[in-house]
Amino acid sequence: MTSLAAELGRIVGDAHVIARATQLLVYRSDALPGLQRAPALAVFPGTRDELVAVVRALAAAGAPFVARGAGTGLSGGALAEGITLLGLHRLKRILALDPIGRTATVEPGVVNATLTRAAAPHGLHYAPDPSSQTACTIGGNIAENAGGPHCLKYGVTLDHAVRATVVLPGGEVVTLDRGDADRGDGSGGGYDLLGAFIGSEGCFGVVVDVTVRLTPDPERVITLLADFMRVRDAADATSRIIAAGVLPAALELMDQPTIEAVESSVYAAGYPRDAAAVLLIEVDGAAAGLEDDAREVERLCRAAGARGVRVAHDASERARLWQGRKKAFGAMGRVAPHLVVQDAVVPRSQLAELLDDIAAIGAQHGVRICNVFHAGDGNLHPNIPYDAHDAGESARVHAAMTEIMTRCIEAGGTITGEHGVGLDKLPYMEQLFTPDTLDAMCSLRAVFDPDRRANPGKVVPVRACREWHAAVAARPATHDGGGA
Amino acid sequence: MSTHDLVPLERARAGLDACVHCGFCLPACPTYLALEDENDSPRGRLLLMGALLDGSVRPDDPAVGTHLDQCLGCRGCETACPSGVPYGRLLEATRESLLPHRPLPFVARVVLGVFANEWALRPALALARLARASGIAALAARLLPARLAMPFAMLASTARPERQGYEPQGDGSRGTASLLTGCVMEGLFTEVNRATERTLTVNGWTMRTTDGQRCCGALHAHAGDADTARALARENIAAFERSGADVVVLNSAGCGAMCREYGHLLADDRAWAVRASAFSDRVRDVHQLLASAGPVMLPVPAHARDVAAGAIRVAYDAPCHLQHAQRIVEPPLAVLHAANGVSLVPLADSDQCCGSAGIFNLVLPEVAERVLAPKLVRIAESGADVVATGNPGCLMQIGGGLRLSGSEVQVRHPVELLDESYARAQRPG
Amino acid sequence: MSALLRDAPATAAQAATIIRDAAAADRVLRLVGAGTWLDAGHPVRAHAELSTEQLAGITSYRPEDLTLSAGAGTTLAELDAATRVHGQWCPLLPWGDDRGTIGATIATATSGPFAERLGRPRELVLGLECVDGTGRIVAAGGRVVKNVAGFDLTRAVTGSWGTLGLITQVHLRLRARPVVDESWAVDVPASAVAAIEAFARGPFAPLACVMMGTDGPHPEAPEDGHWMVRLGGNEANLAAARAALRAIGTLRPLASEAWDELRIARAPVERALRWRWDPLSRRLRERFDPAQVLNRGLLGEVA
Ligand SMILES: Cc1cc2nc3c(=O)[nH]c(=O)nc-3n(C[C@H](O)[C@H](O)[C@H](O)COP(=O)(O)OP(=O)(O)OC[C@H]3O[C@@H](n4cnc5c(N)ncnc54)[C@H](O)[C@@H]3O)c2cc1C
Ligand code: SF4
Ligand code: SF4
Repeated sequence: MTSLAAELGRIVGDAHVIARATQLLVYRSDALPGLQRAPALAVFPGTRDELVAVVRALAAAGAPFVARGAGTGLSGGALAEGITLLGLHRLKRILALDPIGRTATVEPGVVNATLTRAAAPHGLHYAPDPSSQTACTIGGNIAENAGGPHCLKYGVTLDHAVRATVVLPGGEVVTLDRGDADRGDGSGGGYDLLGAFIGSEGCFGVVVDVTVRLTPDPERVITLLADFMRVRDAADATSRIIAAGVLPAALELMDQPTIEAVESSVYAAGYPRDAAAVLLIEVDGAAAGLEDDAREVERLCRAAGARGVRVAHDASERARLWQGRKKAFGAMGRVAPHLVVQDAVVPRSQLAELLDDIAAIGAQHGVRICNVFHAGDGNLHPNIPYDAHDAGESARVHAAMTEIMTRCIEAGGTITGEHGVGLDKLPYMEQLFTPDTLDAMCSLRAVFDPDRRANPGKVVPVRACREWHAAVAARPATHDGGGA
Repeated sequence: MSTHDLVPLERARAGLDACVHCGFCLPACPTYLALEDENDSPRGRLLLMGALLDGSVRPDDPAVGTHLDQCLGCRGCETACPSGVPYGRLLEATRESLLPHRPLPFVARVVLGVFANEWALRPALALARLARASGIAALAARLLPARLAMPFAMLASTARPERQGYEPQGDGSRGTASLLTGCVMEGLFTEVNRATERTLTVNGWTMRTTDGQRCCGALHAHAGDADTARALARENIAAFERSGADVVVLNSAGCGAMCREYGHLLADDRAWAVRASAFSDRVRDVHQLLASAGPVMLPVPAHARDVAAGAIRVAYDAPCHLQHAQRIVEPPLAVLHAANGVSLVPLADSDQCCGSAGIFNLVLPEVAERVLAPKLVRIAESGADVVATGNPGCLMQIGGGLRLSGSEVQVRHPVELLDESYARAQRPG
Repeated sequence: MSALLRDAPATAAQAATIIRDAAAADRVLRLVGAGTWLDAGHPVRAHAELSTEQLAGITSYRPEDLTLSAGAGTTLAELDAATRVHGQWCPLLPWGDDRGTIGATIATATSGPFAERLGRPRELVLGLECVDGTGRIVAAGGRVVKNVAGFDLTRAVTGSWGTLGLITQVHLRLRARPVVDESWAVDVPASAVAAIEAFARGPFAPLACVMMGTDGPHPEAPEDGHWMVRLGGNEANLAAARAALRAIGTLRPLASEAWDELRIARAPVERALRWRWDPLSRRLRERFDPAQVLNRGLLGEVA
């Protein structure tokens, strides 16, 4: 390992290689501090050439590695247990911004909100807006196929990336695009390799740069806050709005414990503390007719039993309402020292029923569940604040979470809508997918990373890969990294 | 090493627990942006504090020293944190806990010693004024290599052009206020203190003087020398109790933030706790007081308009200890708006630290320089003639940096600009 | 290409058996949907046809969720009819006619005039089931509208022209039809071309805005300088959009059937595909259909 450190130091400069254990501690987790796996080495390239050289040096050494952006991931995806962590936060230049063609090309470490800020003078923005947008990187967004509140109308990262340069774990630099999908006229072209890469959680290679679409700012935005005395009614209102065909830009639900946490934080947004739930709804687009959409949303909320519907009067009130939502996870930090964050998606028609079930599961295990989520997409985030030092409580939290996940899968849902599988949700993969499907995922990975050196041990349990079994059977003495 | 030794940090543990590790503070941290290692970020430093407590890192570990020393204490992380982690207090508790294990660097000890002792401070400041007046400072700034030149450039940048005073008119209806004059403010920014008194008078305050006041102790507290900080605090509390003004006003963001912390600093001192928090409650920043009065805008008479006509472009840079520690954002802008002849231009990243951070720029000049670099670029981009900021450290750090980079841009306290506009308004025709 | 043996499995499991047998015997299968477009691409010298005609029909549809699952052999016409009654649609509306199957639409990633605004196959497919060249039955993605669980096999298979697997079932995102949906033929003077292009990219976000050539597919929308515009939204929104259009050119109402005619008229010409066989693409094909059982040669030689 020391010779590898020296080699990497020659490429990026010794100041940007960390090998001391006490300085690696901080890289042992992402934004899910419950999972901790310290790397053996960390390297931070500062240019594209350095990045490629680092990956090639790792390939030459046969060394496994894990890419890391800002470490805001919520699935333990960027943990590099005992191996090399490849931090990309120094690669933070916006390489090109084309206001006419409405695209930007950025290095992977560019922070999501920084890109939007750079596009703002042109009346454009980068549409995928994860709640972590002030901190997370575009590279991390590509790797997780990140979503956000406004993805209800505007689509997730997948829909906004047009091209990416990627250095494969073997050291080859390739350009990925959407292949035939872009043309759509049957003229042929190629496979949608970019589509296959997005959401691969750092297991297929490292993003060197990416070209994304920029979206024009809407002519007008109306933000509404509807409050309900029953969570079920808020869920019902959501279903009604979706079914009615007004496509809001965003439709977010926060329940009472979340409201309480937010209102006690510096980001107090003025949500009614006594409401069982609030819906934060935004309609946007051409100014003409937008008020009609807003009125329709209001009518549907009231029909579902809303106690009140408030419209943000100006940009600062709107910003305040959104701040509260975007900082809600963080605000839960003041409730208890630790937090588990889940990310299941369920059919939207079943939201009300599932929220009831989740509350029942929470009550049964004696844990407090805070719901704050992308209701319009059916993307639940049941969060449980707890104290990890309390073994009993931790066990109850774990049991409740497992039950919730199982219930969501039974309802025809999925285990993650935007945070990724990482390490955290690995155990549920076999519950969700058939052995054939998991094996096919391993095949897809092998296209990009046949040696399984990029982010080993994540996303697909290695035991699901038949090729791995075959390899192990053939060379029983070899010890494999343990991941797909 | 048992955690037993880390009493102050141990007692602040609840603050650590509030951190959810979300990383929202990373882009707000100037040292993370400059040094590009998460150990030099708030999340990283909090993790190191936690590791100190659980024993996985020893207090004498060089990693701890380096990364905690490299913190500016700007508290930019606090306003970014959704979880309300009291970073500033945790940092001070950590530094206090570490002090027995790791002596302060020599430069820091000398500087802190000077500020804690009147007999050393007065001559030191007098000497500084002499170097400034004689032109030695400016000369040294020009001739010395950059790193050595910086302290002289900072000093030279505090010089002010000769100005006519004026007799401030006010009705005194808003109450009594007394200025905590501050060591550097009174020593090197005397004019700003006078401007503070005049503008407050115009805005309806009756000014009182307070004898026996001392250094606020901020530098000591930030460095972990809590005992000296407490001693200084007690003296100040007593002094201002004696002068008895309704409010204690400060024009130095750093000192103001400290004075607001006296309540916390002396919370465990039974004899002083109540007095300290009463004192902290009386603390106001000068911009707050001025803004709450409007501030008064004095029309510039026709004969004085020649000056006002060519409005100067002013960019406001928010001192960390005003913006992040005291959460005072709008009032300085209101003050600048009220100053006739000032046209405000936006300054990108004005909420980012300039790298001054108390004595940080003296102890870790290299890091301070890297933090300052983007600030100078943003200032140049803004097209401003003047940068306004309400903290002596920032005035000097930015002023010195501009001077060394050959820039013509001047640095002023917002109150000075308001005061100058009042002076023009009263200029006899 | 006639008189070939034809298999039409009714389940994915049956398809898997057929494919596995073919692989073992080094036989080539030509995948067939409705057969409306069989001669696109390079000729496939197949030993048999593998048809999705028995894999037809909507398997689940909950209008409140705006999602639908259907067998690959389901025709677009059938999807349209089923969703229309609920005021919804599957807005793919690809080039070609509605006799085409959804499986083939996804397999070829064919989109149409509304793709820019309403989504392409890669954006509207939530998940799919397919049988790859090794006989694995792969259930990729899911039925919910947001999903990042596992590696994205759905995107890999979409637009792969059957060379990675036979799609047996698809899960789709639907959209509510706009409250008001109207179409106009707009005569645009040469001086206003920039204006209509700006309109197309502007805040009204028309469902489609297509410039017509001399080969105009509809009698009402003939020569150069004519545009077909489709607007969707609420009354007030459309009134404003219409006014904006009137400032650009003269408007004539257009029947919505004009779009179907446009789709047919502009259906892709049947021709050899120029496929990019870079190393990654070759490896992809190799991993999912090593024996090249499925549509061998359709995309040219795997170089
Ligand atoms: C409070 C909070 C709110 C959040 N809200 C949302 C939300 O609304 N929507 C959402 O989708 N997510 C959300 N997240 C999760 C997280 O912010 C996203 O997953 C984000 O995309 C991660 O970006 P990052 O730069 O922090 O990546 P990291 O956490 O550093 O890494 C995440 C994964 O990406 C890989 N990776 C990183 N960079 C690269 C690269 N250049 N090339 C290849 N692989 C790479 C890593 O190996 C890892 O597997 C939230 C997180 C927090 C803490
Ligand atoms: S106080 Fe300033 S330098 Fe220190 S961690 Fe916070 S933001 Fe960074
Ligand atoms: S923003 Fe606050 S909670 Fe989040 S990592 Fe930073 S200090 Fe911790």
